[in-house]
Amino acid sequence: MREKSCKVRTIHDWLKDKLQSRELAHPRCQQIASEIFDLIYDVSQGRAGDAHLASIFDLSDHLTSEGMPPACRRLGEEISNRVQANREVFESHIQTHTCPTGDCPMLTPAPCQMACPAGIDIPTYIMLIGQGRYAEAIEVIRKDNPFPWICGLICTHPCEFMCVRGRMDSPIAIMDLKGFTSEKAMSAMEYGNPPKMPDNGHKVCVIGAGPGGLTAAYYLALQGYQVTIIEALPVVGGMMMVGIPRYRLPREVIDREVNMIEELGVEIRLNTRLGEDVTYTDLAAEGFAAYLIAVGAHGSYKLMITGEDDYPEVISAVDYLRRVSLGDHRRPGKRVAVVGGGNVAIDAARTSLRLGCEEVTILYRRTHDQMPAHSEEVVEAEEEGIQFSYLTIPKEIVGENGHVTGLVCVRAELSEPDDSGRQRPVPVEGSDHELSVDVVIPAIGQEVDSLGLDDFNEVDWTRRHTLRVNTVSMQTHQAGVFAVGDAVTGPATVVEAIAGGKKAASAIHRYFEGIPQPELPPVPVRRSRTDYFTLPASLKMDLKRPEMALLGNERRRITFQQVRLGMADMQAQNEAKRCLRCDVCIRCGRCVEICRDKMGVEALKLGYMDFDNPGPTDLKIAAERCIACGACATNCPTDAMQMVDKDGERVLSLCGTVLNRLKLEYCETCGAVLGPARYHDYIMRRVKEISPSLVGKRICLDCARRDSGKVHAEIVPPNERR
Amino acid sequence: MSKYFLFQDQKKCIGCMACVVACKSRQGLPRGPQPCLVVTVGPQWVGEQPRTAFTFMPCFHCENPWCVAACPTGAMHQRSEDGIVTVDPDLCVGCKTCISACPWGAPQWNPETGKAVKCDLCHDRIKAGLKPACVTVCPTQCLYFGTPDEIPEVRRERYARARAQEN
Repeated sequence: MREKSCKVRTIHDWLKDKLQSRELAHPRCQQIASEIFDLIYDVSQGRAGDAHLASIFDLSDHLTSEGMPPACRRLGEEISNRVQANREVFESHIQTHTCPTGDCPMLTPAPCQMACPAGIDIPTYIMLIGQGRYAEAIEVIRKDNPFPWICGLICTHPCEFMCVRGRMDSPIAIMDLKGFTSEKAMSAMEYGNPPKMPDNGHKVCVIGAGPGGLTAAYYLALQGYQVTIIEALPVVGGMMMVGIPRYRLPREVIDREVNMIEELGVEIRLNTRLGEDVTYTDLAAEGFAAYLIAVGAHGSYKLMITGEDDYPEVISAVDYLRRVSLGDHRRPGKRVAVVGGGNVAIDAARTSLRLGCEEVTILYRRTHDQMPAHSEEVVEAEEEGIQFSYLTIPKEIVGENGHVTGLVCVRAELSEPDDSGRQRPVPVEGSDHELSVDVVIPAIGQEVDSLGLDDFNEVDWTRRHTLRVNTVSMQTHQAGVFAVGDAVTGPATVVEAIAGGKKAASAIHRYFEGIPQPELPPVPVRRSRTDYFTLPASLKMDLKRPEMALLGNERRRITFQQVRLGMADMQAQNEAKRCLRCDVCIRCGRCVEICRDKMGVEALKLGYMDFDNPGPTDLKIAAERCIACGACATNCPTDAMQMVDKDGERVLSLCGTVLNRLKLEYCETCGAVLGPARYHDYIMRRVKEISPSLVGKRICLDCARRDSGKVHAEIVPPNERR
Repeated sequence: MSKYFLFQDQKKCIGCMACVVACKSRQGLPRGPQPCLVVTVGPQWVGEQPRTAFTFMPCFHCENPWCVAACPTGAMHQRSEDGIVTVDPDLCVGCKTCISACPWGAPQWNPETGKAVKCDLCHDRIKAGLKPACVTVCPTQCLYFGTPDEIPEVRRERYARARAQEN
């Protein structure tokens, strides 16, 4: 068997062996040790409360005292040492109800939740959406991410890549559902803040009102901190506001969600750049005792080609998108070349089109498949008429009279894959050609603009010119100074900045309270274990992911209206019902194995359960083949597979999906429930060699025994005595 | 048939259920399963007196057991050396076919482990030279354990004695 990597489970198994080895002859010792074992088992099952850990130590102290035999004392010490060494894991199991190693079946998180940088309890809120409980869904999301609406529109949704349903047909539309529920809750005026802790008198300054800084501010404000955010730009939201174009993320969405954070008492000072409008000394004088640097990565990499600095029409994508976001809607030119293959390049190109540029081309030095941009974005850009020129490397920007007239490029070929498997573009000699353009927008990467951060003289920088932090606590080398977001990671995603903001808020709280910082990265929290939807297997199979309605292409090309139009109520609720509930079913495959290899029934065809070699899935065949023996349910470590007798039927269901229902038969004598006929047929087939006379007899276990007891009784009734 | 025989002298049995308790406790069973059971028959009038009989119902360890035939996993098996029918918990998947197949309801369901349990004639105790737990604890000594040729002929003797008194 695989070595277990969860420390709770390892100690659990070790103690179990100790108890079974009968080393502990002393009955009192055996009893205390088994009580400790029960407590550890509770921890691994997610049933432990706050007092469990203390009780474990208490009981192991009992083992070491009370004049116990030496073997017991040794055991007591060892238990205590082992648990103490892994205290953080125990506490995390108790508090988060999550075991990221997957060794504790009841605490194994869903892959979507593990994939989410913010660790949102996705299955829980999907279920709530399916039940139409939108405000509660928002409440669950906001425990881990204060921006459900924003993330519901523009998140890179790594969760959907891990979605198990994707191995069956297509992943759950997790992001769209989040956007949908936010819209619903917001428009019903049910989108609210959780209760706030009383003011604790500590002042924290956040530098930068982007997703990272705002998230930290939100969680700190909830804890009772007095938070002030200083922001260099005249708008809130950071890159969400000035990087992501309006047609993907409407401004009012950002405004509404930031308003919620301001409502908690967070002060946001706009147009306040550190080092220019306010200095570190000013801030220190105001009484801030902790700082969070969340300035983002608003600087741009340069193309490093001739002519780059000579013309006003060469403008970096970040600067360009910012200018447009802040209201400058002048057309930059007629023919635009955007250089780069990421999401920023696509945003710059689509924005140009909307400003009236006649011809917009994205130049990328590799191929379509290697583009880092999100495939949906690429498709939408293609639909709108953006041209793509792959395997093209810009070489020189040329112009006349101080204006750009063209971009000289060379064609490239991909090299053979190197050791890491990556193919490099190699210029083809003599392939120079000039594109006739009047605007060039480089979008090849961003870097941290460290202007104004010099006052934090002890913070350390990496080679990539990002802030060096402890990735668990987001602490920099300077005491009381923390950093998150793109300033730490380099250009990354909104949800990663949010994850960092949450970590930083917890670390800043620990900093003020004098609690040691954690050593292990945070573990996503299981917020609840919600009920399933009960629905027939055929419906579960047949529901399909809805196609998101998009704005008409003509409208998209000329306006900044939101492109994705959202879901209808019915669509959203049906989509939620497709969820396979991987927070409960851990896809260990025991049910499939037992049904196929042990019982020889092969009623479960759940190919999606195998991560490495997914096979076909057919939930419907269970109804044809399953004999309702219940071995799958008996052996399910998480009770995901259940078999219950209800309304005269034996019903087998997996996370609420009804796989099979068979009519029950009853004992001829006492009326107790027997299995269904198909189950008895199965048994009869197996025992027919022995006694065909049993066929057709329907009698329960108890009656069978009682009858046979009577047959063997030695009382002779009076009338038969003589 | 197993090479051993577990015999109950019903005349002596007082229905105290000590055997039932000892059996459950040896196997560490929760509420529910009773690998051996004492079935109370009666009371019914026999002549002038109400009489109750107690029938001891363990597993009969059949020659050709239904439970073994029904078991799809090979967990239920008959030991070749002594014919004892027993269940291997490592192989049992809890499909309960043995329970449904047995005409006498000998295999029992352990809800705690999700597996079948049954009388195994305490083969570990036999191996250690002891008698099965039920036999050991019986206060009236109405249970006898041994090979068929060792079983006391109490019923024959009693019958003979009764006939002798009648004459």
